[in-house]
Amino acid sequence: MKRRITIFFVLLLALALTGAVFAGGGGEPSGGAGATEGETAAGGMSNLEKSLAVDTSTLKSEDGQPLIILQEKQREVPARPSDPEALPEDNPLHWWDIEFAGWNANKRNIPASPEDGAIGKRIVFIVHGDHPWTTACTLGAQKVSGAYDMEFKPLSPNWDLAVQNQMIDQAINERPDMILLIPLDAKTAPQQARKINQAGIPLILFNTLPSAAAMDYCITWTGPDDFGQFRMLSRVWADEMKRIHGTADVGVAYTQHAPGGSPYFARCWGPISELSGYAPWVKTLDKQAPGFEADKTMQLVSDWLTRFGDDLKGICAADDSAQALGIFEALEKAGRDDVVVIAAGNSKVGMDLVKEGKLFAITYQTAEGDGALAVQTAADWFNGKEIPPVRYLPKHIITKADVEEFYPPQW
Amino acid sequence: MEQAKYEAIKPGVLRHSVVNWVFVTIGVYLIAIVLLVLGIVLQLTGTINNFLTAQNMLNIIDAVSMLGIVAVGMAFVTYSGHYADLSVPTTMALTGIVAVEMLKFGFVAAMLSAIVVGFVVGLINAVAIGKFRANPIIWTLAVNYMSMGVIRLVWVNKQIYPDMTASTVRASEMFDAIFRLRFFDKIALPMVMMIILVIVLQFVMRRTKFGVQLKMTGAARTPARFSGINVERMIAIAFIICALTATIGGLAVTSLNRVGAWYNGKGYEFKAVTAVVIGGVTLAGGRGSIIGVLGGVLVIGILNNILTLLGVGTFSQDMIRGAIFIIVVFVNARSLRKMGRDYE
Amino acid sequence: MSSKTSKGIRREKTLVFIDKNRIFILFGVVFLFMAIFAPRFMTTFNLTTIMRTTAMNATAAIGFTMILIIAQLDLSIGTIITFAGVVGLGLKQYIGYGGSIPIAILAGCLIGLINGLLVAKAKISSFIVTLGMLTILQGAIYTITRGNSISLSSPDAFAVSDWLSKMLIPLITPRVVITLILVAAFTVFLRFTRVGRNLYMVGGNRQTAWLAGINTDLYTIVTFVISGFTAAVGGVLFAMEGAAATLNLGDTSLMYVISAVIIGGTAMSGGKGGVLKSFFAILSLDVLYNGIILFGLGNEVKIFIAGVILATVVLYEAYTQYKHDKTVGQRSELLKEVDQLKEKLRASKQKIAG
Repeated sequence: MKRRITIFFVLLLALALTGAVFAGGGGEPSGGAGATEGETAAGGMSNLEKSLAVDTSTLKSEDGQPLIILQEKQREVPARPSDPEALPEDNPLHWWDIEFAGWNANKRNIPASPEDGAIGKRIVFIVHGDHPWTTACTLGAQKVSGAYDMEFKPLSPNWDLAVQNQMIDQAINERPDMILLIPLDAKTAPQQARKINQAGIPLILFNTLPSAAAMDYCITWTGPDDFGQFRMLSRVWADEMKRIHGTADVGVAYTQHAPGGSPYFARCWGPISELSGYAPWVKTLDKQAPGFEADKTMQLVSDWLTRFGDDLKGICAADDSAQALGIFEALEKAGRDDVVVIAAGNSKVGMDLVKEGKLFAITYQTAEGDGALAVQTAADWFNGKEIPPVRYLPKHIITKADVEEFYPPQW
Repeated sequence: MEQAKYEAIKPGVLRHSVVNWVFVTIGVYLIAIVLLVLGIVLQLTGTINNFLTAQNMLNIIDAVSMLGIVAVGMAFVTYSGHYADLSVPTTMALTGIVAVEMLKFGFVAAMLSAIVVGFVVGLINAVAIGKFRANPIIWTLAVNYMSMGVIRLVWVNKQIYPDMTASTVRASEMFDAIFRLRFFDKIALPMVMMIILVIVLQFVMRRTKFGVQLKMTGAARTPARFSGINVERMIAIAFIICALTATIGGLAVTSLNRVGAWYNGKGYEFKAVTAVVIGGVTLAGGRGSIIGVLGGVLVIGILNNILTLLGVGTFSQDMIRGAIFIIVVFVNARSLRKMGRDYE
Repeated sequence: MSSKTSKGIRREKTLVFIDKNRIFILFGVVFLFMAIFAPRFMTTFNLTTIMRTTAMNATAAIGFTMILIIAQLDLSIGTIITFAGVVGLGLKQYIGYGGSIPIAILAGCLIGLINGLLVAKAKISSFIVTLGMLTILQGAIYTITRGNSISLSSPDAFAVSDWLSKMLIPLITPRVVITLILVAAFTVFLRFTRVGRNLYMVGGNRQTAWLAGINTDLYTIVTFVISGFTAAVGGVLFAMEGAAATLNLGDTSLMYVISAVIIGGTAMSGGKGGVLKSFFAILSLDVLYNGIILFGLGNEVKIFIAGVILATVVLYEAYTQYKHDKTVGQRSELLKEVDQLKEKLRASKQKIAG
């Protein structure tokens, strides 16, 4: 019996490992692109000069778009109302603290740049979880860190806060030259940022907007201007709905992102608060968070159609792949092709749907660019450049007219 | 007088109330009917609209088709007294991603390889649990982890797209159609698959030698072995059935999502167990029917539908579902006990 | 058949020793491996990180171990952790930590009480009850927080969290101290008190325990309350140290704790195991994962190894059970008689043949 069990077990292991080795082709799962130790220039240019000479503007992401686009003018930031929470929810300024977090930060204790160039620096890159998006994001970051010959260590806590905290601790222990972090949750970010700040390690937060308190402890925040994109997107959406349906009886519904994070607010309340001014004839019928599952979303939208019937003229989705697929399954089943659907992009599935003419418009949110911009900002800091408190990725709305330019998709 | 009082409490006579009998025999459909009536009442009072329409009813069944496919397979595992197969989610993801990868050799090759992979996983479970009597919950959990690790190691944390791996456009269209094919423009393929599986597996459970022997195995394993039943083989077949239905469900989910990824199928194991248990298949094994499981799946679907139509938020729905789950099981177990038919 | 030679007996005894203490041996092996091969493992900072990460799950594992000992399951510990964290932080601004912490822990106990009552009195399977409770709690958490995770940025919140993570002596922070105290207390309780040992009886054979006069229902209910209590304590402490509570705080804890407790030697069939073993199991796993991160390997490796270890343990348990079943009911005198008879038979056969 013992022999049989051991044989079975060894076979099982062998099976699993063969599968792993065979197809993986030795692909480095979390590709640590380790470079050589910081090359101190021996004669010739100093590290700083060499680093300043590196030109990353020619780098491209997998979809053929430029990897890094630095914008001169970031965004018009309105003055902060004295008590945003007191304003009604459909007033854009109610969301000031979330939307413009970082612009009014009280930077504390930020280490000064050593100004000795970015070549060979050690950076630890902590994302929020495993997902093809983060794989692309890490790839983009690696492209830039490779250009500067940095020692790049990517870590992923797989959506577990305890593990992310542990990784932050371990990262601090290694005393890198910089930590780049996507905080798992906006509210937990302040404590994480503070810990890193107190350890004296430079920190750049990126991708998800943390709550305002965290901004005090980091050099800067880089990432997509989710609110801004969705305000732009919602206007295009309202125009299209007006074109097809006129302004009478136009009701819309929102499938939301995971509760608590900044996209949850940006992709639902962004449009709602924008349209309350731009297109007040649009009525919000419902908003729900079905997760990122196509079958749940399908059931939800089918039930919406049952409930609201023809009143439902537009749907705004926080995700253009699983959620969007579910939405269209439900719409096709009910024979409703007059509903205008927008979503946050841009995955392959979403772009395919745009190409087919189903999804009306999606936002361009470059995954690779996200990681790349963070690393580029780190490099700029090492080079001693002045860093704005917030740095946005370029905004763009993809429609059927220009969707072809974004193939092959990043993820 | 005294005589009459004592005669009423004759030993061996159990309390057979009509209600108990009804619960035990058709229990879950009773709940379904109650929910339907509730829905109709709400519609008549104008609280919700369009509940009792063909479209809405179809929507309900559509929404639970994939769950139904997975649940009827899981039922065999529970029926055999082994609680649940927690490796179902990764089996779904694994067979899905293998199928997408194999589309480069054509649609048929993809389907076959998915079935083979599903069969192998089921076999692994079957051997460990049937032959070596490993604890089913922990073992399938371990297999879940290992499968997940394998998927992510082999495909390096990426997801793959059917329309990009397919060798011909036709192959990729057929794959897409697994979820989207509709008969008469109304009846989706997963729904048809679910109904076919229900009919076939109900027949298997009730009228084949295997089904009857499995019932004995689930109810009382050692006596079953002593009466000559090859208990190991029964359990093995049960797990393989579960893995195969997970394969079919996995193909449907992957087809729906248009992407082969490691996160397909997440959460299906607990949803399936919920449906199975609501449908009357007790965790102790040896009791229940596939028709009951279908009822359980329908109950979940109708409940979700009514709650959404009422405007109840997704998370409040969770609370209500959890409470109903416990209540249903409680009533079922109590009725069985009162009728003296629980042998634990 | 085991030979009765003294060498055989010694061999048997060492095997039994290894079997009983395998988790401690495993811990030693893993720790040594990491200490030698993993870069920057043997630093105070790193070891403290390990201890701090262990704290939350180790606390919850205490209660879960006891649940497994009485042959039940508690699938709701993950959500209790989250719930306690959310309540503990969420109420702080109204009634301060002094009020919110007791309420959070009490809530955990209450949930455990409901679980226990449903299992013991309504006689519903614990798998079902805790599965349903898990779903209910998840919905409740989202409903009361309306989807917002909770965080505190007030100076006193940071002060408390700093205090909890301050290093008192190398490796030990106050939060770790609380965990260790609880582990020690419950280990002593289970091993050295009559009530504790009765728990093993309840799990081993419920009917016999009841016949022996143990109030099995009461034991069941109290164990579930303890499970809720420890899960709540773990959750609240974690949330306080992070000064934040996300809505899926404890999601991964369930599978992690189940794996660890099983690996530690507590079987699902009940009647076996211990809190100390579970604690070391969690430590071993944490050391392992910490090492994996230090090596720079990805999550796939972590998940895969977790599965392999679990599979090994399960198969090993099955094998032990098999061996046990084979020898159950055998008595050495009878076996000796059988051996003697066999000898006689063989001798007579030889005589006939020869």
